[in-house]
Amino acid sequence: MNNNKIAHRTILLLALLSLGFILVSCYPGETLTPADSDVVATFFDKEADFSTKLTYAIRDSVTRIDEDGNPVFEVGQYDQQAINRIKANLDQAGFNEVGNPAVADVIVITFANKSTWASGGCYSWWYSWYYPYYGWCYPVYYTYQTGSLLIVMLDAKATEQKDALWVAAINGILEDTSAGISTRINNSINQAFTQSPYLGEGK
Amino acid sequence: MKIIKINFWQMFTVLAMVLLMIGSGYSQREKWYGALTYSVSIPSGDTKTFTDEISWRGVGLDYRYLIDRQYSIGLFFGWNVFYQRTDKTTEIGNGAITGTSDRYINAFPIMANIHYYFGERKSIRPYIGLNAGGYYMLQRFELGVAAWQEDQWQWGIAPEAGVVVPVERGFGIMLNGKYNYAFTGESVFGTDINNSYWQINAGVVWEP
Repeated sequence: MNNNKIAHRTILLLALLSLGFILVSCYPGETLTPADSDVVATFFDKEADFSTKLTYAIRDSVTRIDEDGNPVFEVGQYDQQAINRIKANLDQAGFNEVGNPAVADVIVITFANKSTWASGGCYSWWYSWYYPYYGWCYPVYYTYQTGSLLIVMLDAKATEQKDALWVAAINGILEDTSAGISTRINNSINQAFTQSPYLGEGK
Repeated sequence: MKIIKINFWQMFTVLAMVLLMIGSGYSQREKWYGALTYSVSIPSGDTKTFTDEISWRGVGLDYRYLIDRQYSIGLFFGWNVFYQRTDKTTEIGNGAITGTSDRYINAFPIMANIHYYFGERKSIRPYIGLNAGGYYMLQRFELGVAAWQEDQWQWGIAPEAGVVVPVERGFGIMLNGKYNYAFTGESVFGTDINNSYWQINAGVVWEP
């Protein structure tokens, strides 16, 4: 092999290695902040006529549920803030609050719970040169807590059991500063109403 | 959330070195040639719907056998990584979902090909060709703390046009464009899709 060929092979191998480093990750990604974990999902009853829903009654506390689905009688740090934010958005959407649920068009109830998530990882068999056998997995290496807020709007005039008129499900990681969580709760509740413009049909 | 870590570049380097050695040792002189290219990919169709950003992470390895002065047959292996983070609101049938989502597609085309070359040997040679085979597709969608993943083989073709520019004996430069289209496929949400993307490739060519 002459010198030129050796030089070319060297260039090729260097090029290969450079490309390898460019592609070092299958899953490139940016840093995730706790706020990036927030998800706001809203669902509505397609047969509901929101233009006739003008008044609401709201339970002035958040119903907390444990991981088994049982109610827990405790008050959370952000409960009152969440209720106030929901009220502000309902008022902005054109609803009027009434104290007596019997005369309201809709009833709004808020639930909250915490879940513990666990995450683990696996290496594929080819990850290691010196371990040419089957893949292997870590035990769980970190856990995190997520909080969910569920806002449910029920038809107060319903005469039989039926689906909720509107449900907003908000979920996010709780590992954050107190100010961070507070801001995220407000933003997420606002977003739930922003993406549900039909709620204001009775305005 | 289970994270499967694939260190593919090690495997790729080994494969490339093996092909280089095979080419050097056993092939008939000037019958075989190889090409290593860097790829930039532009998603289209259903791929664009999922990840609407240009992919700057891509590599391709060609090995071609010249069956006469004008035609070659060969094999192509590639890897293209598509990624997008969005926080847009997605409308669903009876509602909407908002959140930061990370979307990934790792496409590994593995194809047989045939090419036709214009011009004469040792001159600048434009060519056209067709790759046929498929793609091993890793598709992943992350939203909040949840993730959906779909790994599958998708059959497809990739028409190609390019040029080989000789620099000196046994060494040159390749530029080409491809349109990748998968006939079959399923999204991470279980719906039928056809992944497709345009590609611009540039790299080096060598003869063993």
